Amino acid sequence: MQPIEFAWLIPVIPLLAAVVIGLLGRKMKQGGGYIAIGASALSFFLSLLVVVSVLDGSFDSADGIVDGVYEQSGTWINLTSTYKFEIGIYIDQLTALMLMVVSIVSTLVIIYSIAYMGDEGGRKRRYYTEISLFVGVMLGLVLANNYLEMFIFWELVGLCSYLLIGFWYHKPSAASAAKKAFIVTRVGDIMFMIGIIILFTTFKTLNFRDLFSMEVSGGDIGLLTLGTFFIFGGAIGKSAQFPLHDWLPDAMEGPTTVSALIHAATMVKAGVYLVARSFPLFAQTPETLIVVAIIGGVTAFIAATMALNSPNIKRVLAYSTISQLGYMMLALGAGGYLFFNAMGSEGYTSSMFHLMNHAFFKALLFLCAGSVIHAVGTEDMRLMGGLGKTMKITSFTMLIGALSISGIPPFSGFWSKDEVLAVVWNAGSLSWVFILLFVLGIATAFMTAFYMFRLWFMTFKGEPGEASAHSHESPRIMTVPLVILSIFAAASFLVLFIGDGFGAVVFFGESHALQAGELLAETFSDPLTYASIIVAVSGLGLAYLVYYKRRVSSDVFVSTPLTRSLYDLLLKRYGFTAGYDAFAEKAVYGFSLVVDWFDRKVVDGIVNGISFTLAVAGNYIRRIQTGHVQSYATVIIAGIAIILVLLYLLGGLR
Amino acid sequence: MIPIEYFLVLSAILFALGAYGALTRRNTIVVLMSIEIMLNAANLNFVAFSSYFNDVRGQVFALFSIAIAAAEVAVGLAILLNLMKTRETIDLQEIHILRW
Amino acid sequence: MLENIPILTLIIIFPLIGCILVFLSGKSVKAAKFVALAFSGISLVLSLLLLTSFSLNIGTYQFMERYEWIPGLGISFTLGVDGISILMVFLTALLCFLAILFSWDVENRTKEYMGLMLILDVGVLGVFTSLDYFLFYVFWEIVLIPMYFLIAIWGGPRREYASIKFFIYTHVASLAMLITIMALYFEATPVLGYASFSMIDIASVSPGFGQVFQVAAFGALFFAFGVKMPIVPFHTWLPDAHVEAPTAGSVLLAGLLLKMGSYGLIRVALPTLPDGASALMPLMLAVAIISILYGAIVCLAQKDLKKMVAFSSISHMGIVLLGIATASQLGIAAAVFQMFAHGLITAVLFMMCGVVQHKTGTREIPLLGGLAARMPIAATFMMIGFLASLGLPGMVGFVAEFSVFIATFDAYNWLLLLPIASVAITAGYFLWALQRTMFGPLTEKIDTSRIHDVNWYEAAPLVILSILIILYGMLPGLGFDFIRPSAGVISGMLGVV
Repeated sequence: MQPIEFAWLIPVIPLLAAVVIGLLGRKMKQGGGYIAIGASALSFFLSLLVVVSVLDGSFDSADGIVDGVYEQSGTWINLTSTYKFEIGIYIDQLTALMLMVVSIVSTLVIIYSIAYMGDEGGRKRRYYTEISLFVGVMLGLVLANNYLEMFIFWELVGLCSYLLIGFWYHKPSAASAAKKAFIVTRVGDIMFMIGIIILFTTFKTLNFRDLFSMEVSGGDIGLLTLGTFFIFGGAIGKSAQFPLHDWLPDAMEGPTTVSALIHAATMVKAGVYLVARSFPLFAQTPETLIVVAIIGGVTAFIAATMALNSPNIKRVLAYSTISQLGYMMLALGAGGYLFFNAMGSEGYTSSMFHLMNHAFFKALLFLCAGSVIHAVGTEDMRLMGGLGKTMKITSFTMLIGALSISGIPPFSGFWSKDEVLAVVWNAGSLSWVFILLFVLGIATAFMTAFYMFRLWFMTFKGEPGEASAHSHESPRIMTVPLVILSIFAAASFLVLFIGDGFGAVVFFGESHALQAGELLAETFSDPLTYASIIVAVSGLGLAYLVYYKRRVSSDVFVSTPLTRSLYDLLLKRYGFTAGYDAFAEKAVYGFSLVVDWFDRKVVDGIVNGISFTLAVAGNYIRRIQTGHVQSYATVIIAGIAIILVLLYLLGGLR
Repeated sequence: MIPIEYFLVLSAILFALGAYGALTRRNTIVVLMSIEIMLNAANLNFVAFSSYFNDVRGQVFALFSIAIAAAEVAVGLAILLNLMKTRETIDLQEIHILRW
Repeated sequence: MLENIPILTLIIIFPLIGCILVFLSGKSVKAAKFVALAFSGISLVLSLLLLTSFSLNIGTYQFMERYEWIPGLGISFTLGVDGISILMVFLTALLCFLAILFSWDVENRTKEYMGLMLILDVGVLGVFTSLDYFLFYVFWEIVLIPMYFLIAIWGGPRREYASIKFFIYTHVASLAMLITIMALYFEATPVLGYASFSMIDIASVSPGFGQVFQVAAFGALFFAFGVKMPIVPFHTWLPDAHVEAPTAGSVLLAGLLLKMGSYGLIRVALPTLPDGASALMPLMLAVAIISILYGAIVCLAQKDLKKMVAFSSISHMGIVLLGIATASQLGIAAAVFQMFAHGLITAVLFMMCGVVQHKTGTREIPLLGGLAARMPIAATFMMIGFLASLGLPGMVGFVAEFSVFIATFDAYNWLLLLPIASVAITAGYFLWALQRTMFGPLTEKIDTSRIHDVNWYEAAPLVILSILIILYGMLPGLGFDFIRPSAGVISGMLGVV
């Protein structure tokens, strides 16, 4: 009995916990929070066992492993003889990575929640139920062995997101944000559904192993391209890529722990995971790959611009998340394109490495932000300042997170971001599009460093703001997860240097084993590396000058009418929010009013019109009934006469 | 012999007159009389044919017809009397309860 | 074991006996209610027995019973179930039982109310099991009368208008069906050599009828059954009937009567008139797509919660028609499963409308808001109902809709893009309605001081239905395995796989 055979328990345990907390949580301490922690930790432990067995080589020789993948599968529904839906688990290195990331971050966030949600009273039960449910379905999504199962968990993850964004449902803004998130991601989900249906009807299977080992011949490539394109549509929605990005900033209405877990570290990664998982399919369809890369790059750039001047600490982090997800998509797209042209598959590895790093440092940043918000009671950075003196641990750990995301060596973000940019640069040799995307990527790196340190300086340095008066460090139950996450955020780059490196474990096609020495040599002999370092440091420097030293006043950004209007444009998210709202309110709702009018007046009008006409006709026709015997008799005699005449004419009478 | 056509035409004219009276007159008694005229027209027709074809069945039927006419008038007058009692009128134009 | 017991007749007879007993029960309201509940409960238990004894591999009719009724005209009392109808029988018995339970607090003329519900039970069960055209028509018409009375006596402010509109509109449709039945009868008699109204007999010869006849007959049946489903543009009786009907009446109207229409299409029209069906398939497809989108769009504009749910029924029945229009085994099986799914889901939705109206006194969405604070359990059920209806995986609606979409793409390729857009619109109107009624701050526009949460007799049916929705959502095989072989038989008759 290998531990991996129990992998199916990994999602089941938190789901059971959710049921238990839901039914019995009222009577438990902290509304069932400890059960939630226990379940999540147990899943984490099991995931660890899975990861260990993947890494130590027992993987290749154990039972049930074929081609480096462990699969358990069964039929869920037999639809017809040609179509059936399966249910099962599929474990390879990518799965192991995702399990690790999701379970670690989830456990730490739930521990943190005990303190953060401490004042919620009776609502805690609902919170822990929904969070456990989320952890369960997210793990299920990662373990799925076919597209339908993944889609089911995908939607359930969306449900949890809806429930948790709208956790404080008495707040109209929260309820509205939850609805928006669900509907926008639903648009993406429709595309995902179409993609699944295309694959299902063309290839008659949705099983990953079967699909990935297929030889796709000429005629079907077109359908495969459409299939991958629509599947990417789903990823756009879930990972908040342009143009379906607008829901994520609004999703910050939920508790910060929710933002950290769902909207930074795990759920939004599902889209990236989908593309990565489908890499064998995407790698055969270069058109889709270009689309993936373009959307990823454009999203990264646009989102970073919106983070530049937002005053809300959580919003900045939300835009940052969108931007970093864009990086991951960009890497996958460019990497896939390189692979298609037989130029290596580092893109896959670098994207996944960035995914792992981002999960850690973004969760860290959000939890630090939560710590700050908990202490000062506001999310507006303009009211903060000087908190570095009173919140030393939070300040320090957030600094580590900021350094990491900005790509300052030797923190982990530097390594992964550098790899991503290198992949894009390489792809530039194949098409000018990638050169353009590279430029966007570098610019984004600059902006990332800038806005992250703008955030850090505004919050922790400088003069204390209006809200900073009563700030204090957060309780240990909150700071310990912060510290743990900061260790991960800082040091996760070490996986590059252990053994054959990250690339030997997470790879596509052939392994990218790299010894530590080679890696260092390769990295630091490449001029690109220095370019990205310079860019990151200059971003930091600019933020330093403006927000710390106050050498340059931040008013320079709004000094001219041009910059002023740019500034406003960024705050209004390029008008997308207003645009979507107007579309929904005016176009869609307006159209529905028209159709409703049509339905009531025209369609129903015809029905009522018919009955009205008949009633009026009846009014006239009934006057035949005069009540006079003589008129009846007249009609009878006239009728007889006519009949006789007709009979005579038609030959009946002689 | 008088040609049969004369009898038939007379009978037709009588029938038409009777029909006209039955359908248009307002006084119920006049209507009953018109109905009598119609019946007599039919009788005349029967008898004329009976005589012309030397078939006694026509006259027999005419006798039947007379008897029925008598019975019908009796019933009709009874109804008329009842009508008079309940409605105070025998003007057929006034009686139209089963109207729309 | 069950082969010797005329179980179908028993399932139909018990509510009938119950109805007679109810009307004889004198003044006691309690007696009437308990008798009604008991006899519909017996029917429910028998239907469960039927479900468990059903053989899953046979595509043809099981548990058949046949008694000669009017031999001279070829009319017999023939009953039978196959994969298409077995779930409908179960659904009927279940919903009638739950609807009676939900109406526990009806005070005005309770006896008559319960009696009418039981007659409705009998009628619908008869429609779903009858295999003789004459019998089918009789049961079909029996259903109209109690529904008319339920709306006219216990309904809302515009009940006279709504009940008459419902009755006449659907009755006109029934006449179209009657004419077609007569036509089939007269066409089939010379070919068979004897007179028969039996569906099986007529279906054995009718594929040989002329093309013109088949197209005309199918068109008439499409109209007749379509009005019941309802299809756009013959749908306008539905919003009025639903809005004015009492809650349990709406539950049965939406949960059962609408399914009679699509059941008729699948049972009567498709196998009997295959050439007509093939010729009119594009029309069915167009009508289906229009119904789906039209129903969904109009929902957005509704201010009355119940009217919104009524239009969503139109949209979901459009999905059923879409499945039928693909004529494939998957499409038909998915359509039947969607019928079952929608029956369960719409029952929850209408019960929720009833709860909201009962507690707050209004169904006007602009007047409501923040009710989750006062009625958390009700809000939870409303959320379950709405999420199930918009096709969230894990609940029964998802597999049905998704399978219909797969079948649609198989048959019609990119036309799928039109109906699948409704997925987003449906999410839109439901979540918007949920947000406006349950979330946000508590409304000031109505008196909220006396609002309390659901009663036991409202919660019990909701719990049972929710459990079934999730059960069939997680194990759809429980339904699909029943339907699949019979769907294959029908699609085989149409020459499509």
